[in-house]
Amino acid sequence: MLMRSLENTKRQMIREVIQTNLENRARKVRHKRLRWQILRWAWASLMTVTALLAISSFVISRGKTSSSIAVDANAAIVHPLPAQRTDEPPVPQTPPSDVNLSVLPLSVKRIVIDPGHGGDQFGAISNTGLAEKDVTLDIALRLRELMKQSPFEVLLTRETDQTVTLADRVAFANSKKADLFVSIHINSMQPRSIRPLETYYVGASNDPQVLQLARVENRQSGYSLSEYRQLLDKVYLDVRRNESRELANTVDAELYRSLKPLNPKLNDRGVKTAPFAVLVGTQMPAVLAEVSSLSNADDDKLLKDGQYREKIAASLFEGIRIYAKSLNGTGKRGGAHNGT
Amino acid sequence: MQKALTVPENEVAHTMAHNDETICVGIDLGTSRSSISASNGERHVVDSYVGWPLDMVARKVIKKPVLIGGEALENRSMLDLRRPLENGVIKEGSERDAQAVQELLRHLVSLIGINNDGKQHKLRAVVGVPAEAMQTSRLRLRTAMDGIADSVMLVSEPFAVAYGTEALLHAMVIDIGAGTADICVMQGRYPTEDDQRTLPNAGDSIDERLLGSLQEHHPQAQFSIHAIRAWKEKWSFVGESKRRVVVTTAADGKPIDIDITEDLRAACESIVAPIAETVRDLVARVEPEYQQRVLKNIILSGGSSLIEGLPEALKSALSELGKAQITLVQDPVFAGADGGLAIAQDASAGDWEKLSL
Repeated sequence: MLMRSLENTKRQMIREVIQTNLENRARKVRHKRLRWQILRWAWASLMTVTALLAISSFVISRGKTSSSIAVDANAAIVHPLPAQRTDEPPVPQTPPSDVNLSVLPLSVKRIVIDPGHGGDQFGAISNTGLAEKDVTLDIALRLRELMKQSPFEVLLTRETDQTVTLADRVAFANSKKADLFVSIHINSMQPRSIRPLETYYVGASNDPQVLQLARVENRQSGYSLSEYRQLLDKVYLDVRRNESRELANTVDAELYRSLKPLNPKLNDRGVKTAPFAVLVGTQMPAVLAEVSSLSNADDDKLLKDGQYREKIAASLFEGIRIYAKSLNGTGKRGGAHNGT
Repeated sequence: MQKALTVPENEVAHTMAHNDETICVGIDLGTSRSSISASNGERHVVDSYVGWPLDMVARKVIKKPVLIGGEALENRSMLDLRRPLENGVIKEGSERDAQAVQELLRHLVSLIGINNDGKQHKLRAVVGVPAEAMQTSRLRLRTAMDGIADSVMLVSEPFAVAYGTEALLHAMVIDIGAGTADICVMQGRYPTEDDQRTLPNAGDSIDERLLGSLQEHHPQAQFSIHAIRAWKEKWSFVGESKRRVVVTTAADGKPIDIDITEDLRAACESIVAPIAETVRDLVARVEPEYQQRVLKNIILSGGSSLIEGLPEALKSALSELGKAQITLVQDPVFAGADGGLAIAQDASAGDWEKLSL
C-alpha cells in the first residue's frame, strides 16, 4: 500500500516536471519570436532614420532654413540628444523645444549598473553581518540576467567583490558612453524601526539626513575637491537632470509597487535629490536607488531571501523599461527638454 | 540507486520505447564538478573546467583542440581556461563561455561510451539546475544540449536528489555544491518556488573567504585559488579540530609551512549560519503538524556536504526548532546525477517525445 502511494507520488511529480519543462520550452519559442520581432523592428527603424537623414541633408543642401523643412517634426534626429552619445555638448541656436524621440526607438541601449561599495568598502552592515556590498552585487547580477532578455546592453561597474572607487565607476560609465546609469545601494539609518525606500537623482539637498547619507556614500570617491566643484558647477546646466528625475520616478514607483506586498511596512520616501558623486560625475541620466534598509531587522531578513532580491532586481528592470519606453514611445512625454 | 516505477498496463507501450537503443542519463552540472549516471551502468565525474590552447606553442604541446576536466586544470598555464558555470548557472558573456558548457556536456556524454558499439542511440537526459535558476539560465542550458541529446528535461538539483533517495514527503534536501547551496522542502509534490531556496554560501564562497583570511594573516606568503580549493577538499571541517592543518606554500620564492587550521575552520563555518537560517525559514512554511517530521528527515548532499562535522554543526544550529536528524547521502557526488537518471527512467516515452529538442 505504502509502495503504491510512493509510486503514485512519483508519477504525479514526473507529470508536474514535464509540465514545467513544456511551459519553459514555450517561453523559449516566444522568446525566439520576440527577438525576431525586435530585429525586424530595429531594421525598419534604421531604414526610417536613414531615409529621414537623407531627406534632411537634401533639403539643407538646397539652402532652405529649418523652419521651412517639410519634415520638421522629425528634425530631432539631427540634434544631439542628452541620451545619445556625442563628444561635444550641443549649443542650441534656438530655445529648447520638445523633441519627438519616437523616431529613435532604441535610444536607450547601453545601461551601466553600479553595485554599491565592494572589496574593502563594505557599506552598511546589518546586525546579523549581512554586508551592503554583497547584497548590491547580488541584485546587480540578477538585474543583468533579467536584462539579457531585453534589447538593452548591460555593463556592470563591478562583477565581483572588488574595490572600485567612485571616480572609476563614473569614468567607466562615461567611457562606455552609457545611456543610463543605475546605482544600487542599501540604506542604514536611525531609528532602526523604519524601512525606507528612496531613489535619488543629482541635485542639491538641505536635508541633514540626506547630506549625511551622501557623505557616507561619497567616502573614498577618488575625486579632489576642485574636481568635485567643477562637476557640481556643471551639473545644474545639464539637461540630463530632467531625464534623471524621470528615471528616478519610474524606478521608485516600480520598486514601491512590487515590494510593498512583500514588505507591508515599507516606507516610500520617494524621489529626492542629493549630490552623490556617482550622480554628479556621470554624463548620462543617472539614479541611485536605496532599495531597502539593513538597519531594520525585518528588511535584513528579507534581503537574505533570494526571491526578495530577485523581486528588487525585477522592479529595477521594470522601472528602467518603463522609462525607456516612455522615451521611445507614445510622445506623451515632452522629451529631453521638458523643463526643470 | 532506487528501483524503477512499476508501470501500469496502459503505459506498457511507453516502456517498450525505452528499448536497447535508448540511453537515459542524469547529469549534475556543477560549478566545480559535473557528474553523469547512465542507464548503461556508466558513472563518471569530471572537474568543470574547459580550456583551449592559448597559442601555437600550446597547441603543439597539448596536441588537442580542447581540454576538459582535470587535464585542463593541470595544463592551465597554456590554456584559455573556463569554468562554464558560475554560482551554479551557465556563464554568458562570450561565445567561448557558451562553447565551454557545450564542450563539457559533450565530454560527459562521451564518457558513457554510447558510440562505442556502432549503434545509433537515442539519448534522453535529465539535467539538474540550481533550485532558483532563472528562466534565462534554463533556456541557455536547453540550447547547449541541442545536438548532444535527443530530449532534455531540466529539474532542480535538490529535487533530483530527493527523487533519487525517495525523500518525497515531509523531507528536506540540502544540496551544497561549489557555486550554490540548494535547499528544498519536499511535501509530496513537485517543489514550487516557495519550497526552494538557492544560497551563494557554498564551496566557492569558502574558498574565497579562506583565501582572503590567509592573505590577511600571512601577507608574505603566496596562495593560489587552486591550492586553496585542494586544501579545503582535503581537510575541511567545522567545530572542534581533531588535528592541526599545516600546508606548504611559497614566500619570496622559498617554501614555507603555514598552520591554516583556524582560518579553515572559520571559512567552513561561514556557510552554517545562512544555511540554518534558510532551513528555519523553509520549515516555518510547512504546516505546523508536519514541521517536526521534516526536521527529522533532512538529507545532506553535494560535494561540500563532505565537510567534516557539518551535519552536527547544522543540527546544533537548528536545535531551537527541535531535534533535527540529518543524514548524509551515500554518494554525495553522484546523488544528483543518480536522481536525474531515476527520473529519466521513470518518465514514459510519450513524455520524452514531448521534450525532444
